[in-house]
Amino acid sequence: MFYRVVPFVLIPLIGINTGVSANELNPDVSVTLDGYYKQNDTALSHREEGFGLGHTELSLSSPIDDLFSGRLTAVFEEHDGESEVLIEEAYLQTNGLPAGLGVRAGRFLSQVGYLNGRHMHEDDFVERPAVYRALLGSHYYDTGVRLNAVLPTPFFWQVGAEAFSGDQLSEGDEDIGVYTLNTRIGGDLSVSQSWQAGLSWLRNRQVSAEHGEGGHGGEHDHDHEGGHDHSHGASYTGENLYVADAVWKWSPNGNTRKQQITLSGEYLYADDLNEFATSDDVHEGWYVSGVYQFAPQWSAGVRYGEVDLREPHGDHFHSQSLEETDVMLSWSRSHFSTLRLQYTHQSATGFSKADNTVMVQYVMSLGAHGAHGY
Amino acid sequence: MGIDMRFGQCFMIAVLFGLASMPARADFQVFACEPEWTALVRAFMPDARFTTATSYLQDPHYIEARPSLIAAMRRADVAVCTGASLEAGWLPTLLQRAGNPKVQSGRPGLFFAADHARLHAPHEHVDRSMGDVHPEGNPHVHLSPDQLPRVAEALAERLGELRPEAAADIKTRYIQWRGRWNSHRADWQEAATELQGQAVVVQHTSFSYLLRWLGVEATIDLEPKPGLPPSASHLSALLSEPGLEGARAILIASHQDRQPAEWLAERTGKPVLVFPGTVTDEAPTENLAGLITTIVNGLEETMAGASDGSL
Repeated sequence: MFYRVVPFVLIPLIGINTGVSANELNPDVSVTLDGYYKQNDTALSHREEGFGLGHTELSLSSPIDDLFSGRLTAVFEEHDGESEVLIEEAYLQTNGLPAGLGVRAGRFLSQVGYLNGRHMHEDDFVERPAVYRALLGSHYYDTGVRLNAVLPTPFFWQVGAEAFSGDQLSEGDEDIGVYTLNTRIGGDLSVSQSWQAGLSWLRNRQVSAEHGEGGHGGEHDHDHEGGHDHSHGASYTGENLYVADAVWKWSPNGNTRKQQITLSGEYLYADDLNEFATSDDVHEGWYVSGVYQFAPQWSAGVRYGEVDLREPHGDHFHSQSLEETDVMLSWSRSHFSTLRLQYTHQSATGFSKADNTVMVQYVMSLGAHGAHGY
Repeated sequence: MGIDMRFGQCFMIAVLFGLASMPARADFQVFACEPEWTALVRAFMPDARFTTATSYLQDPHYIEARPSLIAAMRRADVAVCTGASLEAGWLPTLLQRAGNPKVQSGRPGLFFAADHARLHAPHEHVDRSMGDVHPEGNPHVHLSPDQLPRVAEALAERLGELRPEAAADIKTRYIQWRGRWNSHRADWQEAATELQGQAVVVQHTSFSYLLRWLGVEATIDLEPKPGLPPSASHLSALLSEPGLEGARAILIASHQDRQPAEWLAERTGKPVLVFPGTVTDEAPTENLAGLITTIVNGLEETMAGASDGSL
């Protein structure tokens, strides 16, 4: 024990720390309200025209004990007047296993790519890029297990593997329908600049399982219309999906409160679409996005993306492509509220619903506000 | 498919290479959320290796859990942070992503300064309409001449537990530090007699502990609510605030935007004082005693000058 060299005088304080109340044992509750108005329907969109509710979330999270913590996230969605409640996250996460290992089990967002592992309410645009909407159903979550390791290198280097049931991506009989491998590196270029880059591979065994059943093309009842409003999984799948992603951020002296520029981009490539696919039949797409937070409460951003798809049609494929440009302006009164105005321009071949549209959106966080990732 | 095999092989080679390149680490690695804790640990353990997550030019509420910080947290033997929800927006992510067992919540390697201090202004009831208010109280405790020694004592004790072989040295350095701090505090106390009862305009509660200790009033805030940036309408409203007349200066931190303070300065003729909110890399503000001395001297000069001019 240390003794005090000189006793010191305490000046009067207006209060002292309040004790721990039972309340603190309750899980953190957070609600995200997401509502919008959209002028026109657009291709590959999960948001219908008119007024609508987007990704309304209720999330509970808490440490379970000193080894585990857990989270439950329910999402409320509405399509054609029908309400649905989806379990998007219900997982346990280990805290501090040896050797930088981390295990997550249950239902959670896959960590493939840059955007997929993030919650939708953190996004800078109303919807995910077209290639994400087509190949990952905006965000791919599923039930399974993840093992990650952060390597003890001087720079950030993480490797991870996931195994999923696969049912949220495409239907099939495999018990373990999807495997993913992912690696991510990153660091600081200077006090103002930081970066991260990643490579991911998603193996969809449900697609290959269809080979084994060996049915002929006639059994496939694919929807020919581009907009799969109801599907929460991906509309377009392949046996292999590769994702390369990169992010670069800048802020003056690293003070993100003041200003920040975020440049990000991803490239997605899927092949082995089904048993009729030749080596030319692949899905492919990319996007680049630049967002400038020019004042503490204001951001403006531009995003351009393309996706080229091969829609299965019996024993052959139809080409579809979509080019999309988004321009957005957003205002955040506080860290917990955002209003967003966005204009989206689409030009497409093979989609009936492609259109230009203006959208107004709010994203509000109530209650506990979890820490954000990079 | 050939490409899968190649991808898989490259992946495994990359992983093995990563594992093989693990550096041998004999040093004590310190992760400090804010530079004041780097300065304090350095006073007790000058040979440790430090990573500081933020600088005096950054708002510690709004840091991102960026990759370099995850890597540093992965290596840390101890993480020293302010606590009281100051880092709530990024520290939990860092801890979870780094997965370092030594510094997880509840383990001795994670030290929160606020746990060892009496905080000003704790709230029984908090809601977000009040702004970004911390229910635990004001977390900017590092500028409190009375509270910091409590934190330092607990920190020295914790470091001694984590490094038993260095515990005696750490204790000696702590006692030396404490002696220096007390003599500095006597100087500040002298200055406080002159500053007592004066008032300044502030932006956020960054300097609250020190101002209270000095007896300097800081009731007028450029922020309309804690955590919200100063707005034009709030600034205009401040002009008719009755307490504004008596304020001697406008005091802001280096990481804050100067425009609002300068706007008010232009209309009121009051001087703007900009001090680092925490320690910097350069003397004389490279440690907390130096920083407090700089702020106290700066206040004294301005306040004395202002009273000479106006009287």
